[in-house]
Amino acid sequence: MAGVTRDETAGILIPAVSMRGITKRFPGVVANDSVDFEVRAGEVHALLGENGAGKSTLSNILAGIYRPDEGQLFLNGKLVELNSPRSAIEHGIGMVHQHFRLVQTFSVAENVALGLPGRFSKREAEDRVAALGERFGLPVDPRALIWQLSVGEQQRVEILKSLEREARVLILDEPTAVLTPPEAEVLFETLRTMAAEGRSVIFISHKLDEVMAVSDRVTVLRDATDVGVVEVSETTPRELARLMVGRDVVFNAEDTLNRATVDWERVVLQTVDLRANDDRGNPALNGVSLELHAGEILGVCGVSGNGQRELAEAICASRGRTGGQVLVDGETTIGKDPREMIRRRVSHIPEDRLHTGLAASVSIEDNLVLKAYRAHPFSLGPLLRRRSIRSNAIQLVEQFGVKAPGTSTSTRLLSGGNVQKVLLAREFSSDPVAVVAASPTRGLDVGSIETVRHLLLEAARRGVGVLLITEDLEEALALSDRILVMYEGRVAGEVSRDEADLTELGLLMGGRSAVGSGAQQTGGSES
Amino acid sequence: MIRLEKRVDASKWLNFTVPVCSFLAALVAGAVLIASSGNDPFEAYSRIIDRSFTSEGAFAATLLAATPLLFTGLAAAAAFRMGVFNIGGEGQFFIGAITSSWVGLTYGESLGAGVIPLMMIAGVAGGAMWAAIPGALKAFFNTSEIITSLMLNYVAASLMTYLIFNTESTWRLTEGSGLMFPQGRLLDESTFWPFSHIGSVDVPFGFWVGTVVAVLVWILYRKTRFGFEVDVISDAAPAAAYAGMRTRKTLLGVMGLSGGLAGLGGASDIGDIRHLLDPKGLEPARYGYTGIVIAALARLNPLAVVPVSILMGALNNAGRALQGPDFPAGLVGTLQGLILFFALGGEVFARYRVRVKRSPRASAKASSGDVAVATGAGQTEAPVGSPSSGEVGT
Amino acid sequence: MNSNLFIVIAASAVFYGTPLLFAAMGEVLTERSGVLNLGVEGMMLLGAVAASYISNTASGPGWLVLVLCLLGAMGAAACGALIHAFAVITLRVNQTVSGLALTILAGGAGLSSYLANIWELKDPATHQFGKLDVFGLKDLPILGPVIFHQTMLTYLSWVLVVASTWYLFRTRAGLGLRAVGESPQTADSMGINVVRTRYTHTLVGGMFAGIAGAAYSLTIVPTWVDGMTSGAGWIAIALVIFGFWRPDLTMVGAYLFGALQGLAPTLQARGVDIPSAVLKSLPYLVTVVVLVIMSSGSAKRRLGAPAALGIPYEREER
Repeated sequence: MAGVTRDETAGILIPAVSMRGITKRFPGVVANDSVDFEVRAGEVHALLGENGAGKSTLSNILAGIYRPDEGQLFLNGKLVELNSPRSAIEHGIGMVHQHFRLVQTFSVAENVALGLPGRFSKREAEDRVAALGERFGLPVDPRALIWQLSVGEQQRVEILKSLEREARVLILDEPTAVLTPPEAEVLFETLRTMAAEGRSVIFISHKLDEVMAVSDRVTVLRDATDVGVVEVSETTPRELARLMVGRDVVFNAEDTLNRATVDWERVVLQTVDLRANDDRGNPALNGVSLELHAGEILGVCGVSGNGQRELAEAICASRGRTGGQVLVDGETTIGKDPREMIRRRVSHIPEDRLHTGLAASVSIEDNLVLKAYRAHPFSLGPLLRRRSIRSNAIQLVEQFGVKAPGTSTSTRLLSGGNVQKVLLAREFSSDPVAVVAASPTRGLDVGSIETVRHLLLEAARRGVGVLLITEDLEEALALSDRILVMYEGRVAGEVSRDEADLTELGLLMGGRSAVGSGAQQTGGSES
Repeated sequence: MIRLEKRVDASKWLNFTVPVCSFLAALVAGAVLIASSGNDPFEAYSRIIDRSFTSEGAFAATLLAATPLLFTGLAAAAAFRMGVFNIGGEGQFFIGAITSSWVGLTYGESLGAGVIPLMMIAGVAGGAMWAAIPGALKAFFNTSEIITSLMLNYVAASLMTYLIFNTESTWRLTEGSGLMFPQGRLLDESTFWPFSHIGSVDVPFGFWVGTVVAVLVWILYRKTRFGFEVDVISDAAPAAAYAGMRTRKTLLGVMGLSGGLAGLGGASDIGDIRHLLDPKGLEPARYGYTGIVIAALARLNPLAVVPVSILMGALNNAGRALQGPDFPAGLVGTLQGLILFFALGGEVFARYRVRVKRSPRASAKASSGDVAVATGAGQTEAPVGSPSSGEVGT
Repeated sequence: MNSNLFIVIAASAVFYGTPLLFAAMGEVLTERSGVLNLGVEGMMLLGAVAASYISNTASGPGWLVLVLCLLGAMGAAACGALIHAFAVITLRVNQTVSGLALTILAGGAGLSSYLANIWELKDPATHQFGKLDVFGLKDLPILGPVIFHQTMLTYLSWVLVVASTWYLFRTRAGLGLRAVGESPQTADSMGINVVRTRYTHTLVGGMFAGIAGAAYSLTIVPTWVDGMTSGAGWIAIALVIFGFWRPDLTMVGAYLFGALQGLAPTLQARGVDIPSAVLKSLPYLVTVVVLVIMSSGSAKRRLGAPAALGIPYEREER
């Protein structure tokens, strides 16, 4: 296999973790197909792969959450069987999940103490957490309740949990997805420190730059199996990308070059001092004003939870507005009812496709008329006209290339990419003047991501205004004409496509506009 | 260790076999119970069949017993389809009986048989109004309808008792034996709902009404915009709100429909069966709760409610006829509970494959005994599943 | 005279509130693990019928028979809880419907009635929990009848309120239990056995409901009547919400509703002319009102409601 290296100079290495021939099947899918995976003590080892390549499954097996159908696991050369998370913990394996495993209503100390043996004393637990945080430079108030903490702080609690259990192997599943670039840099520092102390850190990601920045070695997964192990010092992002995707990646030069010409005279969607509350009733959107022009793609970036979701929903009136205005084609809207915005041809691609954008158990053909079923040609008085609903579906499925056994199939049985295509088919076929798209490519495979981006550019070319809300800075840079950064419910800054750079955007996302410590790539420490 | 795996394909034949097997399994469990109390289950069951189907006039009695259940079954199915747990069918039935008997008592003599449609309307209105209380509380205050609708059953029962025992109301007989024992006043004979004769079987008018209503409800849920909205709301309320559906209005509509159906059952109870308001007879009948069992066994399909209600009517009818030392009260209720549990368990088999794993040890060693079920070579992009024109979305 | 009536009502509040307290406290423990059990009414009736049977048939010293009654009641109700636990935890059946099924199966027209019939429970229970005269203080003004003149079960319930509050908030097992109800994924990843925790607490909740049933058949309605609990199990479920899922606050609610339930017999005995149907409806109507208040306005966040309540847990979900 290309790229496999063995560091013979360091003498005989017994790997801290060695997984051999791991196979895991789920109904309908083989998630891991005979995967080999090795991690040494004292290294940061990246597990790189696309969505669906099997990274999470493999790490969940190592954390004792899934049991493999086949294969063996050696820890420090000894064959072990992990049949529960508890046994993984006992073997010194800790995992920080992508969606944190924290009890929101518990304090930090209670979360750390959870599942430990012995008597429970609140005071004692708090003291231990405080001491631990100090020792590892991970400060956090032990008495604070989880829901009061920022995402970065919550991640610290997760790491403390593993440290409290004296984890020798720490797995982090996509840890930077929720962090600003500066926060990520702090995390990388922590990871390097932990590796320097002789721990093994497994860093799961699909972002090449991060992998290059923090890890010593990389194992690449593709289509449920391992396709290579490389030393970071001996590789390039391009090579990693090729391993990960299985072919040379050419970013859609054609699409990017053949951009729409923005009609700066025509504002299709405008918000003025728009305000809204989050689900708990606290202010989440604190006066956002923006203008979206015909043919423009306006990127909205920010760390998740800074009001982006509320912005999309308040514009589309599926969330109540507490102040401000939304204008479509220069006309004010009332904003009490999503129907009004549907009537004004503002399309909305929500973040949560399968439960908000679509009804999962409902058929594809019904989902395709979810907004249009009330009127001609899909209904006649109170009765539905099944025949036109079906022919509409057959046409759209064909046009948008949805792969489905039939139009009456439940939407939840489709793959993620096809689910998104169904949603896009409905939203783009309704002849919109503006499209509000929230994280439209999140969680999709490369092929589907390309399709979705192509559709967005295509819409812009037809003169549709696209509000692209995304956490993926590179996506925003690739597609947008302008980028707004949101922080704590406000627009923290605006940059045009030509002058944007990642560092500045990262700082804006963290709520700072001054120049701080730049993101330096420090290659990775020697072990 | 039992492990469940989601079925990626919903086989159509399960729609039929699952309820049938659930029913049979419940009968087996019931047989064990009967045997354990020292009686012969085979004899008990053959007597049930005799009393409810084969002996003279038995089937007519079964149909009569099935008629109120048909309505409460439809009421439960109509609500549960939207994931609205209206368990107040019992109280809505009582209120329907109260309102329709009031119409019958007040206008029966002057209008004759013309009062029958009025009784139906009154029953529907009464039941719908009673159900609108928990419905509105859920729609506007997000109060769980489960407990509120149930609490109102007790209130409705108390109201009925009050009308007959604590006042001299329209409903109460105030002369003759009514002076000694509080009881309801009999409606005029012209308000009695007519029986039709199919061969030797008398079919109550209410049964026909119920069958027609079952078809209408089926059409409502399958063919109309309202049904479309119910499907979407029950599956994903956020999606419904996002698409601009009026969730509250639909919720109130479903509760009103469900209550109206139960209330119509109350009207049928007055018109077809009792012809007077009879709290002491209605309360132990527990029509509302049996309706829930029927809806579950019918897998919430309004058309299937018709045959299933006949089945439950048969059980009720036989239970009443056979009640005695070797056929104790409570047996029918127990059987109903068992049927409901097995129906729920059956749904699990319809939705999941059940795998029984042997000891956890076996799996780690390259296990051959543990046959893994991986349907299809399923690559990530390949859509799995077959057309699921499933009748009932649960 | 007025204060006298007040004392009588207060004493009856504790008397009638005791079974509500047991049942609600059990449901608190069950719901804290994330399992909603709407079968309380059915489990109470199973407990009631078992206690009644043992009381009439077992021989031995009175106290021993009563202990056996309680054990039998707990066991019978726990059997009901076990069905529910198997259905919702292992088979992942909808918790609402399963609980409903349990009440239909075991309830007033179901198994409890069937058992009462084959056991021929007609006479008043032979051994009953009588009111005690604790420290000879039953005639103490005001406090005497309310606090020192109650049945053994009331005093047992007080012990259990303290014990279960301590368990929930001061012990490691309680911490684990609450974690399972809030976030089973988290608990699981920290090595807590979610399935076992849920089974255990569903069964414990059943046992508490069984004691509540025994309180009915051995004190409140000592002669068997089908469906003798008449909705108390459902009120208990509402009390859990009322008490913010805390045993101590649940006690307040239980006595409030105990007072309402005691109102009808108390006022009738004094010849107050209010139709009994109205008085009997009162607890049910107040339950509705309480639920509305709890679900609206400032209490909207349903303080204390376990986040994973009613949601089945499956580890290998993708």
